[in-house]
Amino acid sequence: MTMPHNISIIGKNKVAEALFTYWKDHADSNVSWNDEQRLAEAELVIETVNLDQYDKRQNLSLIESIAPRTTTILSTSFQWTANELASWLKHPERLVGFAAFDNFADTKLTELAPALQTDPAHLEAARKQLEAIGKETETVDDEPGMVFPRIISLIINESVFAYMEKTARAADIDTAMKKGTNYPYGPLEWVEKVGIENVYAVLEGLHRHLGEERYRPASLLRKFVYAGWGGSGRGFCEHEKKEVKELVK
Amino acid sequence: MVKIKHIAVIGSGTMGAGIAQVAVEHGFDATLYDIDQQQVDKAMASIYKRLDRHVEKGRAEASVMAEAKEKLSVTTDLLSIGSVDLVVEAAPEKLEIKQSIFQQLEEYCPSETIFATNTSSLSITEIGGKVKDPSRLAGLHFFNPAPLMLLVEVVRGVETGQETIDILTAFSEQLNKYPVVCRDTPGFIVNRVARPFYNEALRIENDGVASVEQIDRILKKAGGFKMGPFELQDMIGIDINFATTNTVYSSFYGDSRFRPHYNQERMVQAGRLGRKTEGGFYDYAT
Ligand SMILES: NC(=O)c1ccc[n+]([C@@H]2O[C@H](COP(=O)([O-])OP(=O)(O)OC[C@H]3O[C@@H](n4cnc5c(N)ncnc54)[C@H](O)[C@@H]3O)[C@@H](O)[C@H]2O)c1
Repeated sequence: MTMPHNISIIGKNKVAEALFTYWKDHADSNVSWNDEQRLAEAELVIETVNLDQYDKRQNLSLIESIAPRTTTILSTSFQWTANELASWLKHPERLVGFAAFDNFADTKLTELAPALQTDPAHLEAARKQLEAIGKETETVDDEPGMVFPRIISLIINESVFAYMEKTARAADIDTAMKKGTNYPYGPLEWVEKVGIENVYAVLEGLHRHLGEERYRPASLLRKFVYAGWGGSGRGFCEHEKKEVKELVK
Repeated sequence: MVKIKHIAVIGSGTMGAGIAQVAVEHGFDATLYDIDQQQVDKAMASIYKRLDRHVEKGRAEASVMAEAKEKLSVTTDLLSIGSVDLVVEAAPEKLEIKQSIFQQLEEYCPSETIFATNTSSLSITEIGGKVKDPSRLAGLHFFNPAPLMLLVEVVRGVETGQETIDILTAFSEQLNKYPVVCRDTPGFIVNRVARPFYNEALRIENDGVASVEQIDRILKKAGGFKMGPFELQDMIGIDINFATTNTVYSSFYGDSRFRPHYNQERMVQAGRLGRKTEGGFYDYAT
C-alpha cells in the first residue's frame, strides 16, 4: 500500500514549526509549511491555530478552497472541539482533531479525536500518517484538549494560581512537584515546553464548552498570553526575579 | 540562630519513624516518642533494620550506622523530652491531639525550642493558635517514605517567625533534602497542585473521553509522567487519595477546581483501595 506523501502544514505558531521540522526529519514525504500552492496536491493538511478563532476559520476555509475534496484535515482541537471545527467546513467528514504541543518532538504518542461528523476512513488516514513518523496514537473522544493537554493545562493553571497568590516562589513550586511527586518537570517550567498559548487555549475551550468555574484560566496566565510572554527568558521564574524581591514575606 | 543538635519526634508511626531515621543518619540525636510502648519498640526495630540494610547493600559503613543507632533513643514519657532544639510532631492527623502535644511541650521545653508539625492537611496557624509563642511553630512536611523522598515543605503559619523558617530550612538542607518555603494554604504546594492529575483523570474517564488504560498510557507516553493517575492512585491507596482531595476541597470552601469525583468515592465504598486490597482501578490478585 502506498502512503500519501504530500503533506501541508498551515499555521504560524510554534506548534506548526515543530510539526514541520519533525515531519521533514522523520518521513520521506513532501512536507510544506504555509505554502498555499502546495495545498492543491495535499493528501493530508495539518492546521494548528489555537488562540484566535478568526485565524482558525480563515485557515480552514483557505484549506477547503484549495485542497482536494478527499484531503484529510488534522486540526488541533484545544479551544474548539473537532465537532465545532468540522461544523465550519463544507465537507466536515474529513476533519480529525488532534493534540500537538510546541514540544511535539519529545513525545511518543499523539492523541486523535474524531468529530461526530468524521468519516472513519479519514481517522485511519491520519493515524497511518502519524505512525509513519514513529508516533503511537490513541483515539479518544472529542472534548477540548483531549487527555494530556487537558490534565497538564489544569496542573499548570493550579501552579499559576499558587504562584499568583504567593503561596511559594516559582522555582520552589517546580522543585516541590519534581521532588515531592516525581513529575518530570515542574509545572512552571513545563508551560514553556508545551507553550503557554496552547495551555491557555485548552483552558478557554474547557471553560467555554463545559461552563464551569473549575476551568477558569488564572488571570496571570491570561496576562502572560496577551503580553506574548512565557517563552525563553520570559517565564514565571524570570517574572518573579524582576517584579518582586520578597515574595514570601 | 539556634543550632539544631538534638531533636524529638512525637509519634512513632510511618512518618515519625522515617523522620527519626533520616535525622540519625545525618548526625542528629533523635528521641522518638509515642504514647504506645509497642509502637516505639516497633519503630526502633524497623529503623535498626533499615540502617543494617544500608550496610548490607554497601551504601554505608558499619561503624557509621552503629553511631547512628547510638544517636537514637525512644521514650513513652513526654516529660523526659525536655531540652531538645527541635520537636517534629508526627502524631495522628487530629487538631486536638497536635494542639495538646505542643501545649504540654511548651511547659517543659526551653523557649528557643522550635516546634514543627508534619501535618499534611491541617492549618499550621490553627495548630499554633493554642501555644503562647506561635512564632516558634511552623510546618515541616515530609513525604512518605521520609528517608527516600527528597522534598520538605517548610510551612509558614500567619504568626510563624522568620527565624523559625530559616532554622527549619537549614535543618532540612542538613538532612540532604530540598526544602521549599510556602504559606499556610490548603494542601500547601504538592497536595494542591497535584489534585488535577487525579481529579481530572477521573472526570475524563467518567465522561467517556478515554478509558483508564488509555489515560495512563497517554500521560506516560505523551506527557512523560512516570506513572499514570490510575496506577498511581492504586499504589498510594484510593482511600488516602480521596481523603486528601476531600480535605483540600473543603479547605478551599468547595472551590470546583478541587471537587472530588463520586467514582473515587465508589471505589472506597466498594473496598477497592488499590494494591493493598489487590484491586483498585486495576486487578492485582495473583
Ligand atoms: N503517611 C503519610 O503518607 C504522611 C505523609 C506526610 C505527612 N503525614 C502526616 O504525618 C502525621 C503522622 O502520620 P503517619 O502516617 O505516620 O501516622 P501513623 O498512624 O502511622 O502514626 C501515628 C503515631 O502516633 C501515635 N500517637 C497517637 N496518639 C498520640 C499522641 N497523643 N501523642 C503522640 N503520639 C501519638 C500512634 O500510636 C502512632 O504510632 C499525620 O499528621 C499525617 O497527616 C503522613
